Amino acid sequence: MLEVENINVFYGEYQAIHDISLRVTEGQLVSIFGPNGHGKSTLLKTICGLMKPASGVIRFQGQEIQGLPSHKLVEMGVVLISEERHLFPEMTVMENLQLGAYAKPARKKEAENLEFVFSMFPKLKTLSKKRALNLSGGEARMLAIGRGLMSDARFLAIDEPSFGLAPILRTQVFEQIMTLRDRGLSILLVEQTTGDIAEQSDYIYLLEDGRIAFSGSKGEALNSDAVRKVFLGIT
Amino acid sequence: MREFTEVLITGVTIGIVYFLVAVGFTLCYGVGRVLNYSYGSFFTWGAYLAWVLAVGYASLNYFLVFLIVLPIMFLFGVVVDQVLIRPLRKRPEFEFSVLLVTLGLAVFLDNLVLVIFGARTKSLPEFLAGSVKIAGFTISWQLIAMFIFALVVAVALFVFLGKTRTGMSMRAVAQDPTGARIVGIPLFRVFAITFGISTMLCGAGGILLAPRFFMTPLGGWTFLVKALIIVIAGGLGSIKGTLYAAFILGILEAIVGWQLGLLWVMPFWFLVLFLILLIRPAGLFGATARKG
Repeated sequence: MLEVENINVFYGEYQAIHDISLRVTEGQLVSIFGPNGHGKSTLLKTICGLMKPASGVIRFQGQEIQGLPSHKLVEMGVVLISEERHLFPEMTVMENLQLGAYAKPARKKEAENLEFVFSMFPKLKTLSKKRALNLSGGEARMLAIGRGLMSDARFLAIDEPSFGLAPILRTQVFEQIMTLRDRGLSILLVEQTTGDIAEQSDYIYLLEDGRIAFSGSKGEALNSDAVRKVFLGIT
Repeated sequence: MREFTEVLITGVTIGIVYFLVAVGFTLCYGVGRVLNYSYGSFFTWGAYLAWVLAVGYASLNYFLVFLIVLPIMFLFGVVVDQVLIRPLRKRPEFEFSVLLVTLGLAVFLDNLVLVIFGARTKSLPEFLAGSVKIAGFTISWQLIAMFIFALVVAVALFVFLGKTRTGMSMRAVAQDPTGARIVGIPLFRVFAITFGISTMLCGAGGILLAPRFFMTPLGGWTFLVKALIIVIAGGLGSIKGTLYAAFILGILEAIVGWQLGLLWVMPFWFLVLFLILLIRPAGLFGATARKG
C-alpha cells in the first residue's frame, strides 16, 4: 500500500533523514520507535506531504506521491494525525471535525464518519460546542484523532498518539487504533517507547539518528541487540 | 441633544463602512500574512470604477454599479495574488518581500489613475437625494442607503466566514496553517480567494465613501492609513477587534468632524490609537500573546 524508498530529508543544511526505506502493507499496523529528535515526526510529515524529500521515492498504491501538495494526498486518503495536534483553537469541536471532512471524498461520508467518531470518543459529542482552545490535553488529543478519522483516510500516519495522556486514556486510544486496523485501515504509527503497541504491531522499525537501525517482526524486535541498546541501555 | 444623536447615527454608519475596509485588510494579513500596501490604491480604483459607470461614461444606477464593480474587484484581487504574491511565498523573507511588491503596485496603480483620469478631483453624486424625518431626527437618504448597503455586505461576510466551507477554511488557515494542510485545505486557493474578497471589500468601501470625500489619484492612501489604524487598534488579524475599533473610530470621526472640523479627525484617531496601545499593546483583541 505504501512504500518509501531511499528518501533523504533536510532542514536547511541539517539532514534529518538518511536514506530511509520502509513499507506498509494494506491493513497492517506498522510501528516506528526511536528516541525523541531522531527524525520520526519528520518521516511522517514527509510521507503526508508537509515536507519534501531531497531525494527518494514514496509510492501510495503504486503511484508516486513525493512532492505532491498535502491536499492532494488527503484526497487520496493519506492522512496525518500530528503529535502537535494543530487543531483550530478558535473553532468549536464540531467545526474542527467538520473541517476534518474537507476533502471531496470525505464530504459524502461526513455524517457516517461523524457518528463513528462519536461512538469512538463519546466525550467529544458532549464537548461539541466547546472551543478547541478550552480542551484539556487528553480531549484535544481525542479531537485530533477524531478529526483525522473524519477525512475517510485509507492510510493513517499517527504521530505519538499516547504522548501526554494519562495511562487509562492511553490504553483506550490504543484499543481504538486496533479497532481502526480491524476496519481495514493501514496505519503507520510512531512512538518514543515500545509498549502495548509493539505487541500489536505487524512490523516494527527502529529509527536512530535519522537512519533505520532495525526492522523486523515484533518477535525479532524483542531479541534484537539494537532495540535493547536503545530502550534498555544494554550494550 | 438631537444634533448629537444625528451625529452619532452618522458615526455608526461610517463605522460600519470603515469596518468593511479594515476587515478586508486584516483578513488578508490574518489568513495570508500579506500586509497589503496597495490597499489604498484598490480603494481608489473601486471609487473610480464606480465613477466611470455612474458618471463618467454611463449613468448607471448605483445598485448596478455595485453588482458590476464588486466582481471586477474580486477578480482583480485574485489575479494580483496569483501573479505577484504567490511566487513570493517560496521565499523565506516573504512578509517583507510582499510589502515591497505591494508598495510598488500601489505606485503603479495610482499613476495609472493619473494617466487615465487626470489629476483633477472627481466626485460621486449621492446615491439618493433628500432626507427623511424619523422620530424627530432628520436623516439623509444617502446615509440610510449607505448604512443598508454596508450592513448587507457585512452580514454576508459574517455568514460566509461562519457557515460556508470556504469561509471556514479561511478561518482555519488563519488559526493554524499546518492544521489546514493536514485536513487537506489547498492553501494557495484559500490565499487567492482571501485576497479577492479583501480587494472586493476595499472596493465596496471606496464606492460607499466616495460621495463623502473628493476622489483624487492619491486619495486612497488616507484610507490605507485609516484601515491600518483600525486594524492595529483592534488587534491585527482579529475580526472582532476590527469591528469594535471601526465603530469607536467611526463615531469619533463624526463627533470630531462636527465639533472641530474634519482636519482634526486624524490627530484624534492617532490619539485614541495611542491610548489603546498604552493599555493593550497588542490592540483590543490582539492575539500575539497567545500565538506561540
